[in-house]
Amino acid sequence: MKYFGIIIFIFLTFCPVTSFASEMVEIPAGQFIMGNDHDSHATPQHKMHLKKFSIDVYEVSNEEFAIENPQHTFWEDSGAHPATNITWQEAQAYCEKIGKRLPREEEWEKAARGEDARIYPWGNKKPRKKPHPFYSGLIKRRVGLNKKDISPYGVRDMAGSIWEWTASDFYKKKITKGGLWNFHLEYEFSKIFDRNLVLSSSRLPFLGFRCAR
Amino acid sequence: MRTLGKLTRRLFLERGLWATSILFWNWLRGSVKAEELHSYEGTDFIGKTREGEFKNFYINFWKPMRRINGDTWKLKVSGLCDAPQSFTMENFDSFTTTTQSSRMKCVECWSARAQWSGFSIQDLEQLVKPQSAAKGVLFHCGDEYKEYLSREALNQDRVLLVHSMNGKPLSDAHGFPLRLIAPSKYGYKNPKAILEMEYVSEHQAGTWSKIGPYSTDGTILPGTDHPLEFGKEPRRISGGEITDY
Repeated sequence: MKYFGIIIFIFLTFCPVTSFASEMVEIPAGQFIMGNDHDSHATPQHKMHLKKFSIDVYEVSNEEFAIENPQHTFWEDSGAHPATNITWQEAQAYCEKIGKRLPREEEWEKAARGEDARIYPWGNKKPRKKPHPFYSGLIKRRVGLNKKDISPYGVRDMAGSIWEWTASDFYKKKITKGGLWNFHLEYEFSKIFDRNLVLSSSRLPFLGFRCAR
Repeated sequence: MRTLGKLTRRLFLERGLWATSILFWNWLRGSVKAEELHSYEGTDFIGKTREGEFKNFYINFWKPMRRINGDTWKLKVSGLCDAPQSFTMENFDSFTTTTQSSRMKCVECWSARAQWSGFSIQDLEQLVKPQSAAKGVLFHCGDEYKEYLSREALNQDRVLLVHSMNGKPLSDAHGFPLRLIAPSKYGYKNPKAILEMEYVSEHQAGTWSKIGPYSTDGTILPGTDHPLEFGKEPRRISGGEITDY
């Protein structure tokens, strides 16, 4: 019995992060500020009231997605990386299978932004360190690895990592949120109000998802 | 004689004439330069150029190459397939021709749109019969460039083996006689002047991916583009094929 605490400590220290990947956080009901007046893609900035909802702390990983979709293949040692190359329909079907759904754009934005209209999940300051090496493809890392990319509610990887499907549409395309922008091999974190528009049937290596409820 | 300080009227007129002549000469040279031929025009070779007509569609080659003779060219299909063989351009006449407008996006930042005509790789594969172990194709090109694409990527919609551009056979600069067009990938995944397609079992890095910061996947990422025909004015792109303009 006296070793029980040590065993628990070792387990918590070394068990894979994906054990917690389906963890959710509750976002309280209330008002938040959506959009931005200085970005033509996100204007106008406006107040919005949302009911209480929950959202995944982490993006869905390869290992998790493969449990419900055994045909999903990924490179060895990338089980804890965010699952990508998944269509919107497949992402939505996965969420439904486990009793969840895709977040709407406004839910995603509130979960990343909190109530103070910040630009990035961690605040308003652009980080000095570039989020990605000088490279023409996306180098994925295990979900939750970035210790700075945490929203006021504790949601991880909402400015970097990959782009994420939402349940929302704009001009027959799905709104995706929260990935990196590539400026000729230089990368930048996206701002919380940035949105990307993608056809729902697209299967892209920089696009994955997280679930809500 | 009337003078303008030390300048006589004769001297003034003479110098004015000289200045006008020089200005006219420079204007004339500028006009010729605007219609300048590219560096490889009239030679047996073709290579990287952005001059003349290619100001609106830049040309990159791994290294300058001798122009391909269409009369002797054959596409060799080799490696892991049950019926490896060589094809002349006439052998493709029975294939269904597909024409599409798509934008070529270079990892350097520019892009340009053209109308491409060609055939899908499935038509070719019905003849060469790739084995199940064949995971992708290594393209060997006239400029010694090599590029790999997985069979999954090659069999996506809108990926074509192209023989014509804007209604005419491919020019040497654009990859005569056969090139690949994969609109969702950066230009370096669109090999030109193809000599051989080798079916291989292993994922491989192409020439640029071996020596530069270029991913082997090469899918266009969300970011900005500077289309040549719009004066390189930056535009936001959402990743994958550029379809908005």
